[in-house]
Amino acid sequence: MAELSFNEDHGYLEGLVRGMKAGILTDTDYHNLAQCDTLDDMKLHLQSTDYGRMLSTSEEDLTVSLVDSKLRENLVTEFSCLRSNALPPLSTFLDYITYSYMIDNVVMLITGALKQRDVAEVLPRCHPLGAFDQMAAVGIARTPTELYSAILVDTPLAQFFQEAVSEDNLDEMEAEILRNKLFKAYLESFHSFCKSLGGATRDTMCPVLEFEADRRAFIITVNSFGTDLSGVDRSVLYPSCGKLYPEGLQLLTRAEDHEQVKAVAECYPGYKIIFDDPEPESGCKTLEDRFFEQEVKLNTLAFLQQFHFGVFYSYIKLKEQESRNIVWIAECVTQRQKSKIHNYIPIFK
Amino acid sequence: MVVSEFEESSLLLDEKLLRFMDQLELLEEKRAALNSLIEQGWFSMSKARYSIGNKRVSALQYASEIEPLVCVHARTLDNGEVDFCTERSKQKGSNEAGKEATPIEDIGPQEEGVRRRNKPKKNITEKKEGEEASSEKAPEVTPSRKSDQNPQQDPLKWFGILVPQTLKQAQSSFMQVIELSAEIATLQTAVLNSRQELKQCRKDKPILQESSATQLEKHSD
Repeated sequence: MAELSFNEDHGYLEGLVRGMKAGILTDTDYHNLAQCDTLDDMKLHLQSTDYGRMLSTSEEDLTVSLVDSKLRENLVTEFSCLRSNALPPLSTFLDYITYSYMIDNVVMLITGALKQRDVAEVLPRCHPLGAFDQMAAVGIARTPTELYSAILVDTPLAQFFQEAVSEDNLDEMEAEILRNKLFKAYLESFHSFCKSLGGATRDTMCPVLEFEADRRAFIITVNSFGTDLSGVDRSVLYPSCGKLYPEGLQLLTRAEDHEQVKAVAECYPGYKIIFDDPEPESGCKTLEDRFFEQEVKLNTLAFLQQFHFGVFYSYIKLKEQESRNIVWIAECVTQRQKSKIHNYIPIFK
Repeated sequence: MVVSEFEESSLLLDEKLLRFMDQLELLEEKRAALNSLIEQGWFSMSKARYSIGNKRVSALQYASEIEPLVCVHARTLDNGEVDFCTERSKQKGSNEAGKEATPIEDIGPQEEGVRRRNKPKKNITEKKEGEEASSEKAPEVTPSRKSDQNPQQDPLKWFGILVPQTLKQAQSSFMQVIELSAEIATLQTAVLNSRQELKQCRKDKPILQESSATQLEKHSD
């Protein structure tokens, strides 16, 4: 009976996260931001939101990149506050959320090393939520096996390396393959962890993670057209914890163009609408946009139930979408592309 | 009746003026196209950042020293105009120990970047053979994936292999911009040249007009 004992260990944090959720920007906020003509105007409007004087305290020039960094900093502060007060199993759950950032950081460090970029230059750009002790050494590894055995074996990412070890030199292709293999292992592990938690956590988290798995399969397929990544190569990158497993994934392996991918999506009602031809008024939304929209819908559902961990995951994801929205509006403002400014995804109506 | 020099030069002046106007119009069109392509390219990059994150499409992704893939050649023509043309450097085929027996396919007009080679099929057959043999052969089986220290790589790959479509769109916009820039530069010098010629013609016009008037008087006497 989770309802009886949940609050003992996690009630405070659930209350906290629901409070933070109340500060998520509304339609009015977005409307105000979209009316701005300069980044300074946007800064002014953001002061009246939960972001407060986040941008005003900085001495640097106001650029879109700075806005992005500050929004990220804000999220990291909130997450750290939650994580530092968390008890197991919530602490494990929150740690799982950080692993995706760790994987991205590892790949960023590897590609930075490939471009002969100094570690000191790349490290500050890594996502703070994915920080781990051995980060500075990641760029030295030349193969995934070396990366695992010498550097990452003592980190939480070690558990995801089963399929990912290989002797191939770490070039751009290998780095991409490594990223996706690690993420696949991570997602499947997270999915089975949530399943084992049971209850409302399983009911809210598993659909979200299944959607994420399927989204990755679709995006990997579509983006691999015209590259050196073949169907067989990409099939090992598809996470198997989604609805597409196993038949949909087999069909995707054989898909050679966008039409065939669309045909696969038509077998699944949830994904058919994402691939449907857009109405003319909606503007040209990319496939990624439509997936983001669906993700937002799924994540908002988490807040309809209580006494589960899904709210924490959903909050982080929704805040990330909010950051994307704000940065998008900032880009449109600076590039004077006001016609496309409404392509952001509103979160709570 | 002798067609006077003056009439000839007037016709020439008209011709030059019309040509000048045409060139100006074309120049304006191309400039507008250039501006819109550049805007489009930057905007597509912003869309790509939206999809994969701001830090994945940034200055971190490229090396501090880059070799250009496109060179501009300028040559002066006989009429004083300068012709600018772009040239994409040829791909250095990375033939790794005969594994890449098939030559690089040329798809369509000159495009930046490594062509899609017949690698996938080779990989599969080679991998199958590798599996049949012992596992020690595994490192040999995938040499085509070894990092070719090929400096002339498709810049798109700096951002990853599975980049979003919007980034590819940005690249194609900027590629068109490069071609267009050379054309505009050529056109600009042509326009300046035409303007110079026009000025010269108009200077000569009164002189010719006078001499033709005196000629007419002589004839009528």
